[in-house]
Amino acid sequence: MKQVKSAVVGIGEVPSGKFPDRSELEAAMIVCREAIVDAGLSPRDIDVILPVGALANSHWQVDLVFSRLCEELGMLRSVKMNCQVMAGGATSSSVLTVADALIASGQAKRVLVVHSDAVGSLPKQRGIDLFATTGVSEEWEAPYGHNMNAVGALAAARYMHETGTTEEEMAAVCVSLRKWAELNPHAMYRTPLTIEEVLSSKMIATPLRSRHCNMLADGASAFVVAAAEDAASITDSPVYVRGHGSLVTHYTLSQDTDLAKLGFVEAGRQAYAESGLGPKDIQLASIYDAYPVWPLISLDGLDLCRGERAGAFVAAGETDPGGSLPMTTNGGMLSMGHTAVGGGVAVLVESFRQLMGKAGERQVPNLVNAVETASGGTWMDSHVTILSREAA
Amino acid sequence: MTETQRPLPHATAWSAPYWDAARDKRFVIQHCTDCDRPIMYPRRFCPHCLNDTLEFRPSEGRGEIYTMTVQVAGPPSGFGDRLPYVVAVIRLDEGVQLMSNIVGDDRESARIGDRVRVDFETVEDGQTVLPVFRLERG
Repeated sequence: MKQVKSAVVGIGEVPSGKFPDRSELEAAMIVCREAIVDAGLSPRDIDVILPVGALANSHWQVDLVFSRLCEELGMLRSVKMNCQVMAGGATSSSVLTVADALIASGQAKRVLVVHSDAVGSLPKQRGIDLFATTGVSEEWEAPYGHNMNAVGALAAARYMHETGTTEEEMAAVCVSLRKWAELNPHAMYRTPLTIEEVLSSKMIATPLRSRHCNMLADGASAFVVAAAEDAASITDSPVYVRGHGSLVTHYTLSQDTDLAKLGFVEAGRQAYAESGLGPKDIQLASIYDAYPVWPLISLDGLDLCRGERAGAFVAAGETDPGGSLPMTTNGGMLSMGHTAVGGGVAVLVESFRQLMGKAGERQVPNLVNAVETASGGTWMDSHVTILSREAA
Repeated sequence: MTETQRPLPHATAWSAPYWDAARDKRFVIQHCTDCDRPIMYPRRFCPHCLNDTLEFRPSEGRGEIYTMTVQVAGPPSGFGDRLPYVVAVIRLDEGVQLMSNIVGDDRESARIGDRVRVDFETVEDGQTVLPVFRLERG
């Protein structure tokens, strides 16, 4: 079991959706201020800022790398390092791991992590074409018409083939996430969704229909990480980083030899061992989605369904509000909106929010331990993080 | 030559023999001459032993569908006029995998586990030939 070194002490977030009048800079400023104020800190208490990658606008991406936020937030000559962490959708878990390690080694005391992007305001075809390059080989896959919806479809087809998961069960993932999004004022889609609506929506790439596919969104979120020993003096609701595990299984999807499992079994084993906790100790599963197959693969790999098949577990309502294992309570990318790298950051921030007891109408009662997952590109890697209200 | 928005492969020094062979309607797989293992996609060094003496060997281009999808809508630029098209991951008999298209009038009837064999498709630019796969029936 690993000694706990860091804790999250503040969070910030803006609604996801299409906000053409809200610049990436403005959204970033709003969420940074909110996270710093939420922690009861001031900007000059931050010594390291880790802005994560942005995809829609290359100038904004460059601004993030070159310390613009330090200047905008009054952190000049107080922040010692502004350094980007970027692993696509896996940036959430990766950046938390980097922050934890910087704090553990004494290189940082207070780390501010921020994401802000506006992929939702891109023209539709540009969004499709942008995501047809993220983890898609230009030489070996793009010439065959590969794209992000095909990624979700190819994995779903193999997973359904191996496990017997049905189309109705696949649709149940979208429906369960929507039930949570109905309770989330920051979510892009909040109207009720039924299995029948998913299964009668337009076919995109078999077996995925339009309601199985995420929608790109503008969004931003931020959080502050502090040393575990300081956390309780900063806030009365610190969230301790208890364990992490991960494994890279491919760059191009075609090179993964086990698409129905990816690396979640190995990553989960590592994270559980580090945290000293197991599947039975977990009361909230914050699972990176983007497409319905990935939560199912993650739930199976993390052994969270009490021996049941994940598809049957979700279809039985176990992951819904009031169910035995609340899942991705912000609605996930399928209902909150896919803000590029921020889709995963939002899932992570939602885990913190729940553990801090700040989730309002969708608060999971008596919550102590949560698991968070992430994956980047075409699900090139499998990340698992265990978070807790308790330091040990 | 007609203009095409469809992305075309840009060969590297070490992958050029693969694309050259495809232009001659031959399918080849890179192998390491040291550890003797097949390599897909072609690499600069052997990913198993980092040896740099690699060679291309002829392959029958037979295998089975590991996974597949019929793209019906929402394609990337350059593929609108090809709908519906089949994107598949093929597991070749040599044990390596690659992405390709399943082509032919019966392509939409393809299923995971079906046996397939390589064929070659000349792209609109007339210069590029892509290895594609057809169902082996009967």
